[in-house]
Amino acid sequence: MTPSLPDILVGNFLCMADPGPPEQQGEFMAGKVGVVALLSLLAAQEAERGAAARAAENAAIRAILDEAAGDYGISAGDIPSTDDMALAALDLVNAALRRALIGLHEAVEARGDTARHHAILRLYARMADLRRLDMPPLPGR
Amino acid sequence: MSLAERLEAYLSRVWDAPVTVADLSRIPGGASRETYRFSAVANGEARPLILRRDPPGSLIETDRNLEYVALASFHDKVPAPRPVAMEAEGAELERPFFIMERVEGGVAASPFTVAPYGEHAQAIGEGFFSILGTIAAADPATLPLAKVAEAPARDDCWRVALDHWAGVIDADEQHPQPIVRAAIRALRRKPPPAATAVRVVHGDYRTGNFLHDGAGKILAVLDWEMVHLGDPLEDVAWAIDPLWGHFDAGKVAGMLPRVDALAIWSRASGLPIDETALAWWSLFAAVKGQAIWTSAAKEYRDGGFKDPVLAISGWYTARRHDEILAAALMRLEGLS
Repeated sequence: MTPSLPDILVGNFLCMADPGPPEQQGEFMAGKVGVVALLSLLAAQEAERGAAARAAENAAIRAILDEAAGDYGISAGDIPSTDDMALAALDLVNAALRRALIGLHEAVEARGDTARHHAILRLYARMADLRRLDMPPLPGR
Repeated sequence: MSLAERLEAYLSRVWDAPVTVADLSRIPGGASRETYRFSAVANGEARPLILRRDPPGSLIETDRNLEYVALASFHDKVPAPRPVAMEAEGAELERPFFIMERVEGGVAASPFTVAPYGEHAQAIGEGFFSILGTIAAADPATLPLAKVAEAPARDDCWRVALDHWAGVIDADEQHPQPIVRAAIRALRRKPPPAATAVRVVHGDYRTGNFLHDGAGKILAVLDWEMVHLGDPLEDVAWAIDPLWGHFDAGKVAGMLPRVDALAIWSRASGLPIDETALAWWSLFAAVKGQAIWTSAAKEYRDGGFKDPVLAISGWYTARRHDEILAAALMRLEGLS
């Protein structure tokens, strides 16, 4: 997924480092500060849960690829793996696994393999939940 | 040369009179255009105006001429700002821009807040869906927009829209997205019924894209940059997408129960709502959203990580739409 946590945190610094011209002070700057604050709060969630979420997603995708390997001629063992829990390392593996999952799902749909189609849809729901970011209840005005 | 000086030079030339720019101030939000409020003083008279200028990188690649012509088409039919001037080549401002009249005294809700309309949610909802119905009721052939927007065939609206946004994902994706890819395939496998009529689609009609007076009245519909001709259910589905629900599952757009919203729209537009078609356009809405957020993530990176609005769009909203898409795909199969 992009942007990454380092992207967000570096971006928070960069967007505040340059104060901009006079017409971008006042209300505009206040709005920018609010968005940066919100990004920082969401970044805290990602720092806490992001690595575990990626490791869990990678394991779940690999399991579904392994299960389907015989029927669909997949060599799941050829997809890279890692013990490195850094987000960048996990994302690199995740990209390869997601590409393989897309290929498997297309093949499953073409074959009308309903059981695996449903299993993949359930996996998508789990993947989305693992990556969830929780917005705090911000009051309207 | 400052932006104020550039504006003065431009307006003095086109109005053929000395113009002074006062109170120039950028308005927060919106990543597809830089938006500024200012007053142009000429012949002793101050005109409150809004400048919409293309940024170096934008959330969505849009044609500012279409937005300008959309305002020209609708400012006398629904609450919308009157357009004043447009320069596709940028002229003195160096980047394409247009100027419109400023609507005073309104506020726009943030889509990420809870219950932003408070006790006026019902009244605002009635206005919101009635205005959208009025836009859908207009015969495009009678509008200036007809001269610049292509009209798809009734049975081709879905394909044109889906090809466009799927192409955006193809072009801008930086990390594989299996959920939205599955949704795109599902949409292609089972197209919707032909549009009842080809009408004007605002393109980004949602909570947060209008000004209201804080007492239940909508003052101006904004952000017409994605306007086009197509199936008007595209706008309905986008307006009621769960992303824009203000975390209230019992209402759409944080305003009204779904059944009430659709009835209001149908009365105002004179068009029926086919639930099968709306289900297709609802899944499409989440695909379109994911395409916009995919572009936002790319622009955030390409622009050196300096626009936090692009960061929120490319990150938080992208993940919300993955949740929405995954749930919709499950529902299609009767799994939830």
